[in-house]
Amino acid sequence: MKTWKFAVNSAFLGRRRDRFTEYQPDRTLEEKFRMVGPIAGISGIELKYPFDLRDVPLAKRLLKESGLECPAVNVDIKDATYFRHGALSARTPEARRRAVSLLMEGMDIAAELGAGIVTTCPLADGYDYPFQLDYATAWGNFIESLRLAASHRPDIRIAVESQPHEPHAKILLANVGMVLYACAEAGMPNLGANLDIGHSFAAGESPAESASLLAAKNRLFYIHVNDNPGDGGDWDMISGSVHFWSWLELLYTLDRIGYDGWLGGEVAPKHIGPDAAYAINTRMVQRMRLLVERMGTEKIAALVGREGIIDQTFEYLSRCLMQDPVEPLPRQETETITPGKKS
Amino acid sequence: MNKLAIITGFLGSVKNRYMSYQEDRPLKEKFSIASQVKGIEGFELCYPADFENPSELKELLDRHHFGVAAINYRSRRTGRWLRGSFTSAQASERREVVDDLKRAMDFAVELGCNRITTCPLNDGSDYLFEMDYIQAYEGAAETFSAACAHNRQVRIGIEYKESDPRARCIFGTAGETASFCQLTGADNLGVTLDIGHALYAGERPAQVAVALFRAKRLFYVHLNDNDGRWDWDMLPGAYHLWDFVEFFYYLRRLGYDNDWYAFDVFAKEIDLKDNFDAAVTATRKMEQLTDRIDKNQMAKLLAERNPSKIVPYLYSLL
Repeated sequence: MKTWKFAVNSAFLGRRRDRFTEYQPDRTLEEKFRMVGPIAGISGIELKYPFDLRDVPLAKRLLKESGLECPAVNVDIKDATYFRHGALSARTPEARRRAVSLLMEGMDIAAELGAGIVTTCPLADGYDYPFQLDYATAWGNFIESLRLAASHRPDIRIAVESQPHEPHAKILLANVGMVLYACAEAGMPNLGANLDIGHSFAAGESPAESASLLAAKNRLFYIHVNDNPGDGGDWDMISGSVHFWSWLELLYTLDRIGYDGWLGGEVAPKHIGPDAAYAINTRMVQRMRLLVERMGTEKIAALVGREGIIDQTFEYLSRCLMQDPVEPLPRQETETITPGKKS
Repeated sequence: MNKLAIITGFLGSVKNRYMSYQEDRPLKEKFSIASQVKGIEGFELCYPADFENPSELKELLDRHHFGVAAINYRSRRTGRWLRGSFTSAQASERREVVDDLKRAMDFAVELGCNRITTCPLNDGSDYLFEMDYIQAYEGAAETFSAACAHNRQVRIGIEYKESDPRARCIFGTAGETASFCQLTGADNLGVTLDIGHALYAGERPAQVAVALFRAKRLFYVHLNDNDGRWDWDMLPGAYHLWDFVEFFYYLRRLGYDNDWYAFDVFAKEIDLKDNFDAAVTATRKMEQLTDRIDKNQMAKLLAERNPSKIVPYLYSLL
């Protein structure tokens, strides 16, 4: 079975916030590199442009010293100063030009850092209300901007990341279908997807299916690994902590489709800190990969290839994971709750 | 007719994971913005932020002839109570929360509103097996009981919400919150029904209003809207026009019609005055639509339960 390299996302190593709370202190790029070094299993760092790449020679030096690779430059195109009303899809040519320039700058830096990929999540391109956006015009602009950016240089690939919502109620690039549509319309071979597994769950997808569809069109460039309860919230939780079986299916599928890219991560550090969060996230994916390997991808493929035997499939899968209780397990003493009484 | 208030927090800087909108501004400016919005008669004040200078606050309320709908007790504080406030596993933290909540209750008496509303947002968890629910509910029962006993004349409304910033808050639905209030047993403990939170939790706002009223726990109402997928705090009626009409129809029947509605509506990049003008207009329009419902006609329709008559009747009101 294939193995994959793991990377962190530099934006998740500093201060994070949500609507109500702030977590973790701000950290300099040097501090971020120092933090990543000791995390077991991590060999790359996806660097955020412009915030973590204001000093490219410094980033280059830190990469060299740490021995970390930079698999992708993550370009931020949601800066509210310029993109209040959209970036790639904006009505004003100035905003669109600015967003496209940022992507092109990111591509040049990616080339300099030896990263073959620019990732970007176009979150400014969305809307809240019905009747707020002229969809045909916005989508036309969106695709044309992507085409322009991709034509900047064919040696760097652009991986766009879909997300169903946030900060707008609706994001244009909401799901895998929209990504495939945008890629087909733009017609550029170096335009593809950064499949964020949490966003995929939030959009109601089966990530394994999304990965298959993207791979079939040679559009699966990069992956972000994390999890959430599928309630629509992008909670950036530890991979496999919620969607265990879907996660096994995804890893099995990535092997079948021959995915050769990186597994980047976006995990909320909240109270445990980014190093601990990334360490356990990576370990979980590695262990799930080992489990799939032990189950046998050929064996699974044979089961999945036959219709109407889902009982046999889960009989097999669960047997690999759990023992049959031959005798009833001894019942442990548990605390009994009496309503209204303090335990 | 219910009076309309704005929650002061929504006139300052608001943010989400990615963006900050609007600037932070002093209370004085919030008053001057809100007083330009026709139809706004008061504020829901945020504690502790708005209470740094209580005498200035009273002076501003007098000068603008503003009423106080409620005091919003903020249970999340920078750098404190991060693992739950009311439900904290640490007794010392729970005591701090109770003491502080009592001060907010005293202000509620001083300002004559006698109402606290609070959204226990950090009281929840992200992961399975992260939180001891038994301990959490016991902790919450202890803190809310102690606060309620401080002054039975002040009503405390728990504003439930399914998630954010936790993947699951412990008070997520009307039912969970009402049953907690009933088991806790204090008559002055009830629910703030935020219609946006109800929609986001997959509830029918009118139905939960009735359920809460029957349990004697419908204390207060917040108005906003969303697309049912997240708490976007949008303009009332932008998505759920008929849900609002049904909600207003039942609130009148239940007698919640001489009280306050408070707006928690995100202005984002829109001018604040324009945003709340629109909120007032949309709310009053939907109330007018509700007024056009003929009581006897509706009674007949509800008895007959025939959607092929109900839906055309509703559209005949437009």
